[in-house]
Amino acid sequence: MNDNPDALHGFPHTQSAHCESGVAANLFSHMGLHFSEAMAFGIGAGLFFGYLPFIRVNGLPLVTYRSAAGKILKRLGRIPGVVMEQKRFRDRNRAMTELDALLEKKVPVGLQTGVFWLPYFPTALRFHFNAHNLVVYGKHGDDYLISDPVFAEPVRCNAEDLARARFASGALAPRGKMYYLTGVPQHLDRRPHIVKGIESVCRTMVDARFPLIGIRGMRLLAGRMEQWPKRLGEERAVLHLGHVVRMQEEIGTGGGGFRFMYAAFLQESAMVLGEDFLRDCSATLNEAGDRWRHFAVMAARVCKKRARPDDTYGAMAEQIRQCALLEEDVFRQLRQWLKG
Amino acid sequence: MATQQKYSDPKIDGDLQTVSYVANDNGEQELTPGSIWDPVHTVNEQAWREIEKQVESSQRKIAAGKRSPLHYYMTVNQMNAALLARYTGQSSWRVRLHLLPFFFKKMARKTLKNYADFFKISVEDLQDGRLRPPLYAHHER
Repeated sequence: MNDNPDALHGFPHTQSAHCESGVAANLFSHMGLHFSEAMAFGIGAGLFFGYLPFIRVNGLPLVTYRSAAGKILKRLGRIPGVVMEQKRFRDRNRAMTELDALLEKKVPVGLQTGVFWLPYFPTALRFHFNAHNLVVYGKHGDDYLISDPVFAEPVRCNAEDLARARFASGALAPRGKMYYLTGVPQHLDRRPHIVKGIESVCRTMVDARFPLIGIRGMRLLAGRMEQWPKRLGEERAVLHLGHVVRMQEEIGTGGGGFRFMYAAFLQESAMVLGEDFLRDCSATLNEAGDRWRHFAVMAARVCKKRARPDDTYGAMAEQIRQCALLEEDVFRQLRQWLKG
Repeated sequence: MATQQKYSDPKIDGDLQTVSYVANDNGEQELTPGSIWDPVHTVNEQAWREIEKQVESSQRKIAAGKRSPLHYYMTVNQMNAALLARYTGQSSWRVRLHLLPFFFKKMARKTLKNYADFFKISVEDLQDGRLRPPLYAHHER
């Protein structure tokens, strides 16, 4: 990219593994309240699991490994002392003029965008995915200067394409959504926020009544997966399988690996709070993450038609059940810890 | 017919270097730069092959006179009639009609221009059925 790195206007662009937590961490750090990405992800209760076959993405069932788009930012915005302005627009021109006005005042602005319209994205990732977050920190001529947390360096985007990206249609349409911070607390006691974040994740992961989310959702997916070759035929089954892996690693934008990210959060919390117990939980969750990867490797072999004799759908379902077991263990223990 | 770049080509993942959380020797999570691991490429390729298949089938239907060139532009940009309708501000049944050659030929110039502007092509390209590359290929550096 041909950008001049010292043209960042003091915005602390840090590359991260996931867009929403990365944007949140960068925006808060810019205001002087330092958050790591993992901490933002944890306090924002970003971890989730949901298997929602009645929602279709490219005709395939939705599997999600993290909370709904916007949840992390919403939770962080609720911290007392944090003032986050958030706006959606009907009118494209107004959305762009208001953005310009803020940039004039040197306010970095977070935007929700559709990846399909962002010209700096590699072609291979340009699908219709509308919940990608980025920060615009300046304007140079017709080009907006963008800190996209998934990229190592700052990038640029022209006004027309950015306007299209902000008004992408379809599922999760951003409708011009923009947000910016106007105030953060001077000092922040992290303990209550870490505790609340963990509480929220425990609730969805182990206490969900709805059988499609949390641990129950994983088990349901495992059960369904075993049936795929019979129910869908080999060809469709492979497509479904590839889709599960793609949602696991890519649609969170670029190798999310949300289990590992949450493990990083638990580790950091263990340090901040002086609670060694959280370090043990982190290790177990790490193991769960390894299982998910192991599943993905098996699935990839099947997708490539290079399956080994023991890469059956049953074996893959078993992997997911193992994940469910490990994660259930982590979150039940965490819930105990919250009570204690 | 325009020749198509194959998007399932593994190199297409481009130069995007991502970071992810990897445990170090002490079991501590660290943000580690580096190539995305292999399975992601595999499943990404799979998704693009599926899109290519749909595009090829669309081209066959257009050549056989069963669908209008609009069908190609819709498919190659990974849309369906409902999404294209939202983007162009019309009802989806209108778009569905325009996908058929019979109604496509009767389309007013204004409607044609609406589609052409959206796909960043000229009205003539669309009218004459020249199949240009998808929107996301316009900006290739």
